[in-house]
Amino acid sequence: MHALNASRDLPAPLGLADSGPRWLGRRGYAMIVEPDPRIAEVMVPVLAAHACGCLVLTTAEEAIARFEAERPDIVFVGTDLPGLDGFEATRLIKALAGDRFVPVILTAHQRDEALLLRCIESGADDFLLKPFRASALRARILVMERVCGLQQRMSERNQTVAALLERERMEQALAERVLDRAVKGRNVVMDQIGMVFRPAAIFSGDIVLTQHLPNGALRLLIGDFTGHGLAAAVAALPVADAFHAMTRKGVSDAQVLAELNRKLYQLLPADRFMAAILVTIPANCEELRWWNGGMPSGWLKTSGGLRELTAHALPLGILPDLPLEESPRRVRLSRGDHLLLMTDGLLEAHDREERMFVTEGFPAVLDAWREPESGRILPALCQALDLHGQGAEQLDDIAVLDIPIETGLFGTPAPVSDVPMHSGWTLTLELEGERLQIQPTLESMLGPLGLVDGLRKEIVVLETILTELYANALEHGVLKLDSTLKATPEGFDAFYKERARRLGDACSGSVSIQVDFEPSADGGSVRMQVRDSGEGFREADTRALALDTQRPWGRGIPLLRQLCESVRFHGDGSRAEVVYRWPLRPDPLRAGRNIGTPAFSNQ
Amino acid sequence: MGVTARSDAEKSQVVIAIDGRFDFSQHKAFREAYKDATGKTTKFVVDLSDASYLDSSALGMLLLLREFVGSDPKRVRITGASEDVARVLKIANFDKLFTVD
Repeated sequence: MHALNASRDLPAPLGLADSGPRWLGRRGYAMIVEPDPRIAEVMVPVLAAHACGCLVLTTAEEAIARFEAERPDIVFVGTDLPGLDGFEATRLIKALAGDRFVPVILTAHQRDEALLLRCIESGADDFLLKPFRASALRARILVMERVCGLQQRMSERNQTVAALLERERMEQALAERVLDRAVKGRNVVMDQIGMVFRPAAIFSGDIVLTQHLPNGALRLLIGDFTGHGLAAAVAALPVADAFHAMTRKGVSDAQVLAELNRKLYQLLPADRFMAAILVTIPANCEELRWWNGGMPSGWLKTSGGLRELTAHALPLGILPDLPLEESPRRVRLSRGDHLLLMTDGLLEAHDREERMFVTEGFPAVLDAWREPESGRILPALCQALDLHGQGAEQLDDIAVLDIPIETGLFGTPAPVSDVPMHSGWTLTLELEGERLQIQPTLESMLGPLGLVDGLRKEIVVLETILTELYANALEHGVLKLDSTLKATPEGFDAFYKERARRLGDACSGSVSIQVDFEPSADGGSVRMQVRDSGEGFREADTRALALDTQRPWGRGIPLLRQLCESVRFHGDGSRAEVVYRWPLRPDPLRAGRNIGTPAFSNQ
Repeated sequence: MGVTARSDAEKSQVVIAIDGRFDFSQHKAFREAYKDATGKTTKFVVDLSDASYLDSSALGMLLLLREFVGSDPKRVRITGASEDVARVLKIANFDKLFTVD
């Protein structure tokens, strides 16, 4: 028996008794259960000549008791045993052998033919009719050796296949888990959406993606790749990545579709693509934007009935660019509406007679749902589908979504200036006529746009600078008032009365303000330019005036020089330009720059 | 069941007829039906009169044929589609890529 056990390969004495010493052969070890010693005497020399060891027993009970310990490679069982018969003996021996193939050959007298058949049925592998000749026994042994070899090779192959299948199953399960997290892990509000998902393979070719836009709107994609399995799953990864990243940034439906199409066109071979429906539901629930590329119609249930969202576009990944006429469409929406989306696996599900669900069960379910008080569609749909698919194999992935248009679907809108901004800006304001009466402030100009944040720490100084520049432009440039009026308390009063009078007269002048902000690593700089429609003034006068620290007028421009890095006048003083920079750089020439103390000295 | 190709040299046309289910199992035969034709000049008629069913891998095979003829929608004509088969072609909007009768 193919030298099944080398340890039995020992030199052995010939000659035997009916229950004689165990004798091990090079090719195997036979157990002979035979009450008739004359038969055993024929068998032992044949087996010995074949280099087969033998153990001769006379009862089935004994054979069964010693089977485990002896571990024979082949068993010959006489059908005419005392006690347990050959039928029982064969059954028990086969049971003891378990997964190990141990041939059992029955030796029977001609008259026991009926018993013989029963024994074969009970698991015996072959038989010999007694009395038999040595050549017949030799032939049986050779045949059984061949069967044993086949059995062994098959068993080895089976083990290899089983191990490979198990490894493949484990790897697929691992890959599915990884992909599942990557594709579905970033989805939002899936608990608000009714979903039936029945993959036909371990990797489904159907994907569902959901994400909020920055304004809180919900975007959803249901996609169906050609085929399923690993090839489909691999392409799902970049699709999910682009969908989530672009939606979070607030990119438009058309741009997301164009990008998904471009990615799939580049990635997939010509015969692979992804049919998809993309919908975007704004948080005010007033309008549904939808795009259907090669998917079964979506159905929108409103108080006015059902609206069909038919495929108007090619699936994604077929053409290098999406045709313009295939852009997303719009339909009116109200709170309480329902949106039903599905992949073709649902409609094409076959029953036993190869009839499709789209013609058999689906129309009735859709009709019932059409009624205003019909309730959720998914339970009814599942029931009808189960009934339809009884006894038939599911061939394609099935995904069905029921999206209730409710407030729970939407995200929290992101605040406008959620993130710190690192770029500068320029703001220009033109004031004329009555508008000149109101002194503009940086807070009022920049606050609504969220632009104050970058200059928050310096706003007091900056407001002071703007006030001085504006007052200068208005009072001297536009209104042509004389500051020397302010030399006496009466004059001070007269100055402001005159100012109010001239402002009240239909004033034809104008003031324009331009503010530039340039941020730096730890602060920034603001350039303010104020231009008026007047004729200007002589700058030298203001310099002379500033030398007298006790004078109650003419302090505006020296104050600006004190605060700012630079103060310049253009066009005879009708245009002032100052630059303020922070934090302060140590500058020995400009030491003592401080708005707190009235150090109105000029440099 | 199967794919048969009938070549008409005079009209420079190949008629590919599909019998039974048009799915992945026909992949090889379908490819065989056109691969020896001259991609630049031959016209193709895909006769689906006897096709009982068409799945997405069949759509993929049609796209491969389209690629073979250089994406000219007039060079591939799809005829004889039954109701079920026409429904799949219509959902996929394949009339934009092929001449569908």
